[in-house]
Amino acid sequence: MVVVDEAHCISVWGHDFRPAFRRIINLVKLLPSGLPVIATTATATKRVEKDIADQIGRGIKVVRGRLLRENFQLYVVRVATEDEKMIWLGKNVMNLEGSGIIYTGTRVNTEIYSRWFDHLKIPSSSYNAGLDAGSRIEIEQGLLKNRWKCVISTNALGMGIDKPDIRFIIHTQVPQSPIHYYQEIGRAGRDGKPAKIILFYNPEDRSLPESFIEGGRPVIKKYDQVVAAIHHEPLGERDLMRKTNLRQTQIRVIKADLIEQGIIREALYGRSKKLEYIPGAPELNPGIFEELRQAKTEELNKMIEYIDITGSRIKYLCDFLGDLSGPEYTNCDNTGLKKIRIASDPEWRKKLEEFHENYFPELIVESARSNIINGVASSYYGVSDVGTAIHRSKYENGGDFPDFLLIQTLKAFRKKFGNEKFDFLVYVPQTKSGNLVRDFAIKLSKTLKIPISHDLLKCRTTNEQKIFENTCLKADNVKDAFNYKHPEEVKGRKILIVDDVFDSGATIKEIGRYFTKLGAEKIAPLVIAKTVGGDLDDQ
Amino acid sequence: MINEAAYWISIAHLPGWRYKRINELIIKFHHEQKIGIEGFFHLDTEEWKKAYDLNDKETDDLLNVKSEIPNNSFLAESLFNQGYEIIPLISPEYSQNLKSNLKSDYSPAVLYLKGNRGILKEKSIAIVGSRNAGEISLQFTDNIAKNASKEYKVVVSGFAKGVDKQALDSAIAYKGQSIIVLPQGITTFGSGFKTYYRQIVDGDVLVLSTFHPKVPWRTDLAMARNIVIYGLADEIYVAESSDSGGTWSGVKDGIRKQRTIYVRQPDPGEKNANIELIKMGAVPVDINGRRITADYLVHPETRQQGVAEESAEKIADKIKSLLKNKSLSADQIKEQMGTAWSKSTLTNYLKKLNFIEVKKIRNKNFYFIKGTPEKTEPQLF
Repeated sequence: MVVVDEAHCISVWGHDFRPAFRRIINLVKLLPSGLPVIATTATATKRVEKDIADQIGRGIKVVRGRLLRENFQLYVVRVATEDEKMIWLGKNVMNLEGSGIIYTGTRVNTEIYSRWFDHLKIPSSSYNAGLDAGSRIEIEQGLLKNRWKCVISTNALGMGIDKPDIRFIIHTQVPQSPIHYYQEIGRAGRDGKPAKIILFYNPEDRSLPESFIEGGRPVIKKYDQVVAAIHHEPLGERDLMRKTNLRQTQIRVIKADLIEQGIIREALYGRSKKLEYIPGAPELNPGIFEELRQAKTEELNKMIEYIDITGSRIKYLCDFLGDLSGPEYTNCDNTGLKKIRIASDPEWRKKLEEFHENYFPELIVESARSNIINGVASSYYGVSDVGTAIHRSKYENGGDFPDFLLIQTLKAFRKKFGNEKFDFLVYVPQTKSGNLVRDFAIKLSKTLKIPISHDLLKCRTTNEQKIFENTCLKADNVKDAFNYKHPEEVKGRKILIVDDVFDSGATIKEIGRYFTKLGAEKIAPLVIAKTVGGDLDDQ
Repeated sequence: MINEAAYWISIAHLPGWRYKRINELIIKFHHEQKIGIEGFFHLDTEEWKKAYDLNDKETDDLLNVKSEIPNNSFLAESLFNQGYEIIPLISPEYSQNLKSNLKSDYSPAVLYLKGNRGILKEKSIAIVGSRNAGEISLQFTDNIAKNASKEYKVVVSGFAKGVDKQALDSAIAYKGQSIIVLPQGITTFGSGFKTYYRQIVDGDVLVLSTFHPKVPWRTDLAMARNIVIYGLADEIYVAESSDSGGTWSGVKDGIRKQRTIYVRQPDPGEKNANIELIKMGAVPVDINGRRITADYLVHPETRQQGVAEESAEKIADKIKSLLKNKSLSADQIKEQMGTAWSKSTLTNYLKKLNFIEVKKIRNKNFYFIKGTPEKTEPQLF
């Protein structure tokens, strides 16, 4: 027997196209006719259901169960700011029964919420697709064992999680469609006992899913670039990143679209997968992207509509998914449950301000083969005036980095490394911006009373990291680019590395690798600002 | 037919079975019983034994491969996904040359392809010879490949060192088309697909294998592959042969099957067995592939025309009697008349005959006598 789970992924209407699921359809068609095939999903509209049945063929019989979940208690909470969400959660999450999941819209927000909870001593863990497989498995296991009150995650967490007693699922960001929402909340209360389902909504939230829809696809020129490269030679994903200087996320979208349109395919060359051009392939048809964009906008509108409906919330979701059966439902804040309202609370507002002032983004750089440890940034680039100040100094002849950056960076250092002892600090030798980082490091050294070393040098010219769009090219750019004048002084030492902006982390990691090779005991990065993003975001 | 791919993979590689025996089953279920391969595999063992005259061992073998069909579905999906094609014997895409040259005794049940399948329908030549061929043989190979490419003929070769490699490289250099016939399963040719990527993308190279897609190179496969090379080609040129090995036995086999095989006339003192092959009945040719006979200076086209005028009436009569009560394709007429004309000469001639009518069936022209109902012969071979 062949079982196809999460079968809604097969449908072009149910999901963004995924070549792997399209292959399942091809496989089913090749199976001997006597072999049973079952396709299951918990989230299919009528349209998706029909699409799956049509594609699988074989006279498949459709059995539709009821989607109603009577144990759900659904709430929508309207807020005016991001702070109001944080305050309500801070105040109330410990009063909710059992453990649950909080879904945020972005990776950065999983980190911010998780640190907010740390600040309040609420046991939580954060999860996103950027974590390595080991950490992901550990968090999934921890969730099953109720190790925390909640796991804060992007929508990367979920498929395949089978925990019967998830007691609450809270969204701080409106999902892209009622299908996504039903899929995500469907993980709660599988044991049949009550589960709280809460959606926060700030009218500004709409812009995030909208930007995914609008900006979800790279410009056509980038598609052409990829096709041209593959037309010339078979290329793996990493080769393609090097040839085109495109981000991995973009390459994956382009790859899936080009496979879908029959322009390229993935074939094995020996043991490595490479993309190859299909002889006589059609031209790219961008019209399909527009159709998909419209369909997604309609779905987002249906999701936004959910916020303000006055009838039964679960009925609205079930109707959307094509389950028109059943009586009236009284399990939401429109049908009997008390609405959740936000009241202003000066004491909590103060707590949150205090948190913001002491919040410093973490630099995740640890790996098994390096003695580098996770570091800290004083702020996100682009948040408050930190980014502007750095830009002015670096590119507009604005002079030294201003003092408030120094104060902020010192605070970050004390928070993260207050108890660490360092033997000396080094700074990353700059490509273009003169002595800014050196002068900044000198000031840091004086205040912290950590000796400074000027011996970390570039042994070859590198390009500015920001001209490279992906981690492969960034790593290539700095590989073996550094040299320490007195390598014998590194052995057994604890070293602080100072830089201005942390993006992919390729430079810092390379220096960490180099110092590890020279025998350093510990290497810790400290930077002024961390960019939002980097490579490979799930959202 | 694509949906039956897993069944075809299963029947094609029955362990220890000869092609002849496999093809007997195919002819029976496809042409006689008309139940298709799926229908055949769904018969119970008693029906197999009775209707197909299978012994106990054969029945067991078939039961074994039947249990492998679901696994072969996964294999087939993976192959299709990577751009490979699986062409069974009964497909209109199967090489007509293979069928008519190898008959049901030696035609493989399945061809695995990657590249421009259309190349299989073109006129083709094979250039064969030793892995250690000398300079003069390589020069001969280059000359033949050059002429072939000029005349839009496809060069078939076996991807071995020496003559094979030269034939392929020359065909590519002269912008001709090539078929690489592999001595291994088609999925084990990774480096080759990388080397000839541009030619495959441009439609100038077709890679073909008749073995299980995952089986690595083996000596016995290389020998079996030679038969396929001879089978695919309309003309066979031998650059250099020793008195044993693949080329030698392949050419002897070809002569026995009454195929015309052109062998390079060796210079005095060359150490090879070309002259022995010529003595056995192969046609000697010079370094440029021209027949070494008294009248070789006559331009080939003039020669052909002369023949046509001389015996035109006789040939018309022959065709008339051949097409009594049935219709045949040009290939079938050519084969049954045993004429030395090329297919295109014959086709042009047929079109000029006023008692002949043409009808297209499945993309192929069939000829019959005007006013008689066109009955095609169901023919696998």
